[in-house]
Amino acid sequence: MPNNLSYENVTMRFEGRSGAVQALDRFDFQVKSSEFLVIVGPSGCGKSTLLHLTAGLYKPPTGRILLGGEEVREPGPDKAIVFQNFSLFPWKTVHDNIDFGLRINGVPAADREDQIKRVIRLIGLDGFENHYPRQLSGGMQQRVAIARSFVLKPRTLLMDEPFAALDAQNRQIMQEELVRIWQTQRPTVMFITHSVEEAVFLADRVIVMTRRPGRVKEVIDIANITGDHHWRADPFDEVIRRADFQDVRSRIWGLVKSEISVRN
Amino acid sequence: MNGSARSNALARALFGALSVGSLLFTWWLVTSLELVKPLILPPPADVWVGFLDIWYGYLNVPFWNHFLASISVMLGGYAMAIAIGVPLGIFMAWNRAVDWVVGPLLQILRPIPPPAWIPLAILWFGIGYAGKIFIVFIAAAVPCILNSYLAIKQTPSELLSSARSLGAKPHTLLFEVAIPSGLPTIMTGLRIALGIAWASIVAAELVVSLAGFGFLIMNGYRNLESNIVFVGMAAVALLGLLMNLVFHRIERAMLPWREDQDNG
Repeated sequence: MPNNLSYENVTMRFEGRSGAVQALDRFDFQVKSSEFLVIVGPSGCGKSTLLHLTAGLYKPPTGRILLGGEEVREPGPDKAIVFQNFSLFPWKTVHDNIDFGLRINGVPAADREDQIKRVIRLIGLDGFENHYPRQLSGGMQQRVAIARSFVLKPRTLLMDEPFAALDAQNRQIMQEELVRIWQTQRPTVMFITHSVEEAVFLADRVIVMTRRPGRVKEVIDIANITGDHHWRADPFDEVIRRADFQDVRSRIWGLVKSEISVRN
Repeated sequence: MNGSARSNALARALFGALSVGSLLFTWWLVTSLELVKPLILPPPADVWVGFLDIWYGYLNVPFWNHFLASISVMLGGYAMAIAIGVPLGIFMAWNRAVDWVVGPLLQILRPIPPPAWIPLAILWFGIGYAGKIFIVFIAAAVPCILNSYLAIKQTPSELLSSARSLGAKPHTLLFEVAIPSGLPTIMTGLRIALGIAWASIVAAELVVSLAGFGFLIMNGYRNLESNIVFVGMAAVALLGLLMNLVFHRIERAMLPWREDQDNG
């Protein structure tokens, strides 16, 4: 089943107090199946809106979004979304948080236990099954949030600045962890971040968006630059010192900065 | 509990004992020096006699009859307030139509203080149990409705979005996300309602009753036996405190995932 995402002239506007706000303007883009796509851009450029639309949380007034050729009409476990603020259910244990999606989607109880065990091992949280979210660090909570989505075998994983609330060390660890977890199923990833380094390390391609109303400003094909041995295959702190990495990083940062400073 | 928290708790208990102790001492001193008339402030010894009087059957009514009269009516009205108020508040928050129909009625009824209902309650339901249960119900239902309403309205939108993207349908969102997420706020409403229910049963008994703590207080007043008034008030205070403690235990058992388990 192809998991490519097609954006066809997607426009989104919100009715705010001070009139309508154009969040996206004719966003037109193709994401390949199993691609790791990272989106950077100035604050308020409609990046989050794009993810929410892709998740089916609301419908664009004009344009269409297609996942594997089918139009996205409503949210569902094939389009999993992970938010910046660990949106685990605080009243459920790690085990029950992960079980939630399996249970409401009618997976038989016997299979559920097996899958929960496996995904908990995958995120390295064995022994924490009966902990409540508040008893976990931010990084651990975000692992559970990823596991909760991942266990449902999503076709696309939508991540809205998932590591922005973590400290620098945890962020680095989570970037490497995410790559490892992603490799096991390779869903199509749409990943939003403010960190250009994070984008260059993780992405097959990076989209730089314009300031509002958000459009595609430029696409940087990282996989094409790195060839078969992608940067994300190596530890982050080694990669970040390499000259070719830094070249791409500063080029993308220049693009983002020009969008921020146009406004000022 | 660490060392400084322990010594804090000790200091707090010490100061508490000191403040209550000095109040009792002043009471004893003022009355034994006969600085005020016994009718205005009965000496501790008189209050003790009053207590024994009530315990063994003041006016031939055993203590437990008063206790049962007050408690049974209060619990009856309180249970009704929970059974009707909590679902009403939840559905008002969940369904706009219910909110629009019921909301204005509540806004009109809410500012009426519970004691103002007493004459009407007697006219409608008589001076027996039914009238007093009605008073307690009216008083306790308000915080049940308001807090349940707030609890549902304040469900974090990211929790709802996460659940939808995991495949949750509306009834699952209500029963498995909004209600458990709001349970602490609902429980706070029930705790406020408990205090109000207790206050209103005593108020109702002050006006019309043949047994109960309100009756004791009013009877003591009519017979110029201020020691009986004191005993009645002390019993109301102690039972109120006790109910609050029991409620606190129940609340903690129901919300093992809360962060503020150790406070209040």
